Amino acid sequence: MATSWTCDGVRRRDFLKAGVFGGAGLGLSSFLRLAEAGELKGGKATAAIHIHLGGGPSHLDTFDPKPEAPEGIRGEFGTIATAVPGISIGEHLPRLAACADRYTIVRGVSHTLAAHDLGTKYLNTGNRPLPSLVYPGYGSVVSKELAAPPDLPPFVAIPTTPQVAGYLGVEYAPFSTQATPRAGRPFNVRGIALGGGLTVEEIDRRRDLLKSLDQAFAGFESSDLVNGLDAFSQRAYDIISSPRSREAFDISRESSSITSLFGEDPFSQSCLLASRLVEAGVRFVSVSNGGWDTHQDNFNRLKDRNLPQLDAGLSGLFLALEQKGLLDSTLVFVSGEFGRTPKVNQRGGRDHYPRAMFVLLGGGGIAGGRVVGASDETGSGPIDGKGITPDDIAATVYDRLGIDPAKEYHTPTGRPVAIVRNGTPIAEALA
Amino acid sequence: MIRSLAAILAVPLALWAGSDRSRAADVLPPASARFAGPTADEVPDFQRHVLPLMGRLGCNGRACHGSFQGQGGFRLSLFGYDFQADHDALMAEGESRVDLEAPESSLILEKPTLTQPHEGGQVLEYDTWEYQLLLRWIEAGAEPAAQGAVFERLEVMPSEVVFQEEGETTQLKVIAHWSDGSIEDVTCLTRFQTNDESIAEVDRDGEVTSTGPGDTYVVAFYDNGVIGTQVIRPVSDRFGGNAPEIASPTEIDQHIATKLKKLGMVPSEVCSDTEFLRRVSLDLTGSLPTPEEIRAFLADEDPEKRAKKVDELLARPTYAAWWTNMLCDLTGASPNNLRGQAASVTMARHWYEWIERRVAENVPYDELIAGIVLGTSREPGQDYDAYLEDVAALYRENDPADFADRETMPYFWARRNVRQPEEKALSFSYAFLGVRLECAQCHKHPFDQWTQDDFHRFTAFFQPISYGFPPQERDRIRELEKALGIAGKPGGVKRREIAKRLQEGEIVPFEEVYVVASRMRGNRRGASSRSGAGRAVTPRVLGGDEVTLAGYSDPREPLMEWLRSEENPYFAQAFVNRVWARYFGRGIIDPPDDMNLANPPSNPALLEALTRGFVASGFDMKWLHREITGSLAYQRSWKPNDTNFLDERNFSRAIVRRLPAEVLLDAVLQATAGPEELTRFAVEADQRAFGPRQRAGTGRGNANYAERVFGRSPRDTNCDCSRSDDPNLLQLIYLQNDQEMHAAIDRRDGWVRSLRKQEEGAPDALIEEAFLRTLSRRPNPEEHEASNAYFEGSKGAEEGLRGLLWALMNTKEFITNH
Repeated sequence: MATSWTCDGVRRRDFLKAGVFGGAGLGLSSFLRLAEAGELKGGKATAAIHIHLGGGPSHLDTFDPKPEAPEGIRGEFGTIATAVPGISIGEHLPRLAACADRYTIVRGVSHTLAAHDLGTKYLNTGNRPLPSLVYPGYGSVVSKELAAPPDLPPFVAIPTTPQVAGYLGVEYAPFSTQATPRAGRPFNVRGIALGGGLTVEEIDRRRDLLKSLDQAFAGFESSDLVNGLDAFSQRAYDIISSPRSREAFDISRESSSITSLFGEDPFSQSCLLASRLVEAGVRFVSVSNGGWDTHQDNFNRLKDRNLPQLDAGLSGLFLALEQKGLLDSTLVFVSGEFGRTPKVNQRGGRDHYPRAMFVLLGGGGIAGGRVVGASDETGSGPIDGKGITPDDIAATVYDRLGIDPAKEYHTPTGRPVAIVRNGTPIAEALA
Repeated sequence: MIRSLAAILAVPLALWAGSDRSRAADVLPPASARFAGPTADEVPDFQRHVLPLMGRLGCNGRACHGSFQGQGGFRLSLFGYDFQADHDALMAEGESRVDLEAPESSLILEKPTLTQPHEGGQVLEYDTWEYQLLLRWIEAGAEPAAQGAVFERLEVMPSEVVFQEEGETTQLKVIAHWSDGSIEDVTCLTRFQTNDESIAEVDRDGEVTSTGPGDTYVVAFYDNGVIGTQVIRPVSDRFGGNAPEIASPTEIDQHIATKLKKLGMVPSEVCSDTEFLRRVSLDLTGSLPTPEEIRAFLADEDPEKRAKKVDELLARPTYAAWWTNMLCDLTGASPNNLRGQAASVTMARHWYEWIERRVAENVPYDELIAGIVLGTSREPGQDYDAYLEDVAALYRENDPADFADRETMPYFWARRNVRQPEEKALSFSYAFLGVRLECAQCHKHPFDQWTQDDFHRFTAFFQPISYGFPPQERDRIRELEKALGIAGKPGGVKRREIAKRLQEGEIVPFEEVYVVASRMRGNRRGASSRSGAGRAVTPRVLGGDEVTLAGYSDPREPLMEWLRSEENPYFAQAFVNRVWARYFGRGIIDPPDDMNLANPPSNPALLEALTRGFVASGFDMKWLHREITGSLAYQRSWKPNDTNFLDERNFSRAIVRRLPAEVLLDAVLQATAGPEELTRFAVEADQRAFGPRQRAGTGRGNANYAERVFGRSPRDTNCDCSRSDDPNLLQLIYLQNDQEMHAAIDRRDGWVRSLRKQEEGAPDALIEEAFLRTLSRRPNPEEHEASNAYFEGSKGAEEGLRGLLWALMNTKEFITNH
C-alpha cells in the first residue's frame, strides 16, 4: 500500500476515517473471496443517473488535486476540505465538498484512448471500443435488464447522450429530450408533450378512428412484426396520454424545497429533471454536460462556468434524491471521457489525458465519503501503474443495479459478448 | 429404432452415387472401432484423430481451454486448427500434460477422467475408445500432425432426410477425404449441430431425431470441413403425390414448388392488383404509388399490365436512387466514414452519384463493382498536379465537373474505418462476397471452413493499398501548403482552409488511393499491420489459389479477376441473394451477409438457378428485378393458409415487412404532399431521403433523429444488420406524436392546408383520396363510414383530414409492405 499520499490531499492520520483504500482495488481473487463471504451484496439500486462531462474534465482541478505538485502542474486553484475528514477537493466545488459523504471519489482511473470519440465510447459502455462491434451504452443495457412502468420510457437522455443501443438493437435506444429544461417553466419534450395543437381528447378521438381502420391484419397472429407494432403502439399511446409521463417531465411542478437545492442554469435544471424522472419510475437517466475540453484558458473557464454549474447541479441532485428518499435506491455516477494533462500548456490549458482521470460514484449501494484508488504525486498516472479501468467502473455500476456484468448477450451476428468484457466491481466503493 | 423409408432408401444412393472414389471397401473404419482395444498397433494421428476428439470432448471450446486466456494455465486454439500451437501446449515442459515416461499419468488423461481435479468436470471415461485413442497416441510418442496429406473434403450420408413422424430417427455417417487418397469414416470424431431444434435434434453421435414439421439442416463439423444434411418433415398430408398442382410459370416458381411439394405446403393465392402495385412500387422504387397511378392501373385491362408496370418503374429515377442507396449501404458511402477529409460530404455525394449513374444506365453489376474495387484517384498516366486540377474542377462550388463521368470511384478505399489491411479484407468480403470473416481473424471460424491462415493470406492482398497524401509528393504538398499559408498549422485548421479553397476552385493538396510497391512482394517490414508483422505471406483468394503479385502493378487486379471468374462461388450469388432478401424479407441464404457452410440455402436449386441466370444475363441487374417480380412467388398474398402460416423460408406467401426507414419517412411526406408536388415527389429522387441529398450516417444529437429511430443504416459496420427494420417504442411515439409528424401533416404547401383554398363539400372524395395516398387502396364501406363519422365530429374538413391522415399513417397496413 502506498505511503506517500500526504501530497494528494489525504492526511495520513485521517486514513481510516476517510475510508481510503489503496491502489487499484482488491483484484479478482480477493473480490471473489469477499463475495463468497457474503460481504458484497449486489443490486441495491433500482435506477441510475449518469452525468457525462463531455470533453474530459481536468482531474487535478476538481476531484484529484495535487497542491504539493510543482506550479506548472498543480494549477491555479487551491483545495478545500470536505465534510469528510481527510478528503480535500478543488476549491471551486464548495457545495460538493459539503456533501462529500454522499459519494465516493474514484481516482487513478486509467485508459489509453486520447480521442474524444473513443474515450467517450469507452466510458459510456465500459468496454474498450472495437471497430467491428458497437457496444450498448449503460442506459440501453439497463432498459433491457430492468422492467420499467409501461407509461414511461425506460431510458431518458437530457438533452442527448453518446450512448447508443448498439448490438442490442434500437428498441433499447435512449429517449432524448433534445433540449434542456428552464427553471420554473413547463418542459415540452419531443414526442411526449402534445404538439400541433393536439389535446388528450383529440388523441383519443383519433385513436378510436385508428382502431376501426387498423383491421387489415386482424386474426393474423403468427407475425412477430404485427404483434410488435401493436404492442409498441399501445405503449406509445400510454406514454403520450399518461398524465404521469407529462408530469414527470414538468419541472415546474416541483416543490420549492427541492428546486431551491439547484441553480438556475440548464445543467442544474437537467439534474432536477433527472431526479423527477427517477421518482416517476424511469430506470436510467443520462445527463450530458459539455464544455470540459479546456485546451485553452482552463482555469477561467472552469471557475467561471463549468465548476459552479457542476457544483450546484450535482450537489442538488444528491440532496434532492435524499430528500425524496431515493438516494439509497438510485446510483449516481459521473465521468468524462478522460482526464487532462497535469502540465499546463502554453495557452493556459490542459490537453487530453486518459492515463489518469476521476469518476464519482454515489447513492444506491455505494459507500459515501470514500476515496478509492489514487494517482501519483503529479496526477500523471495511477499510483500502482495499473489503476482502475472504465471496465471496473462499469462492472461496479451493473453490480449495484443487480445486473451481472458477466452476463452474455448475442450480437445480431450470433457472437457472444459479455455486458462488461473485462471489468471487476470495485469492492472498496461498495456500501 | 424407427427409420424412415426415405432415409433408408437415401443412404445407399447418397453414399455411393455421389462419391467418385469412396467404395465401401476403401473406407477406413471409424476410430471408435480401430482404437477401442489396447492391442491394435495402429497409431492415431494428431490432426486426424487427437484434435478432433478433443474438439468433440469440448476441450477447445470458448468456455474451456479455447478461451483466449486459456483455462487452468492450459490453452488450446479456439475450435482447433492451430496444430502447431496446440501440440506445443500439450507438450509444454514441466506441465506433464503429456507424460511420455508414464503415459497414463498424463494430465490430459487424468484431468478429464477426474482422477485429478478438473474444473471442467468429467468429460472422459477410462477404458473407452476415446481414452484408448489418447493413450495410444501418447504411448507412440505423441507426435505432431503428420505432414503430407491434407484434408480435402467432407461427405455426409444421407444428404437429405425426409421424416414422417415425431420421434423418427436416422443415423448420419460422415466420411473424410484426404489428399493422399485415404478415406475414413469419421462419424465418431465429428461434431454435429442442428440449425433448428424445433424441427430436428441431433445427438453427439450423429443420430437425428424429428421434433417437428418443417425443414432445416443438421450440420457436421470435422477438421475444417463443414457439411449439412437437409432434414424435412411435411407440415400437412398434402405432400408428394398428394400435393396439389402448383402453377409454376417461371423457373423460380418451379424450384419453389418442388420444395413446397416435399413439405406439404400449399402456397397462398396470387395477390390483388392493388396489393401488387403497392408492393412492387415500394420494393422497386422505395415509393408509394400515387392515387392517379392506382386508378389507372386498376382500370387497365391488359393481361400483361404487371410486367409492364415493372418496366415502367425500372425506368424511374426513384428506381435508380433506391437501389443506389442499397449499394451505398453495402459499400459504406457516408461522410462519417470520410471524416477527416477536406470535402467529406461532397465526396459521399459523389460516391452516390457515380453509382446512381450506372444503376440508371443499367451498367452490368460486375462492371460497376470493378469501378469501385479498381477505383483509382488519378487517370492512367496522370501526374499529381494534373490530378489536383481535376479535383479542383470536381469540388468547386460553381459549375463543378461531373464526378459520375469518371471511369472509377476510389472512395471505397478512402474510408477511415478501413485503414488497416485486416479491416479492408473484412469490408471487402462483407460487401462483395457476403462472407463474414471476422471470426477467422482470431481463430478458426466455428461455422465455416475459414482458418486464421486463410484470413491472413486473404488480407495479404490488401497490404499494399493505401489512401492518403502520397509520400513521393511530399515536397509538392509542402509547397502547396506554403502557398495556401497553412504550412505547419494544426490538422483541423489545414482541413478547414483546404475545404474553403477547394470550394473556390483552387488547387489544394488532396489525398488519393495509391499502391505501396514495397508491400507488393509480401514484405511486411515496417507495415502497420497488427498481425504477423515481419512475416512474408503469399496472398491467397478465399477457398482458392495463391496469387503471385509480381505480375501485377496493383493487387486489386487479381482480386477483381477472381471476383469475376467462373470459379468464384460468392460474388454473383451474394448479390442475387441480397436482392432476393429485399423482396422477400429474407434471403435464400439468411442472413444474406452470412454465407457460410453451416448456413446452407433454404432452396439451393433456386439460388443456383437464379445466380446462373444472372451471370448468363451479363450481370444485368434489371434482368434480376424482372425475373423476381415476374414470378408468382413474389406476387403471392401475405394471407396464409393452414399449411403455410408458419412459413418464412420457403416463399409460399408474402412476408409482411416493416417499411425501411427512408421509405417510411418519405411515405409520410408523400401521403401528406400538396396536390402539385405529389407526383414529382413520388417519381423524382432529388427530394428523397435515399436520393442524392442524403446524409446517411451523419448527424449527432438531433440531426436525422427519425432515420436513426427507424433504423436506417449508418453504414458504419460490416453487417447488413446495420439497417434495422424491427419495430420499437420510439418509432410509434414518433408516428403518433412527434413534432415532425404534426409538421408534415400541417405543412404550408401540404395537402391539408390546401383545403383552405377550396370549397367545402362532402368528405367522400377526401376519404377515398386519403386511403389511396396511404394504404394504396379504396376504403371498404365500414372504413368509409368510420372516417365519415370522424369528419362529422370535426370542426371542418381540415381537422377531419388531419385526423384521418394521422390515423391512416398509424395503421400497420401503412407502416408495412405486405
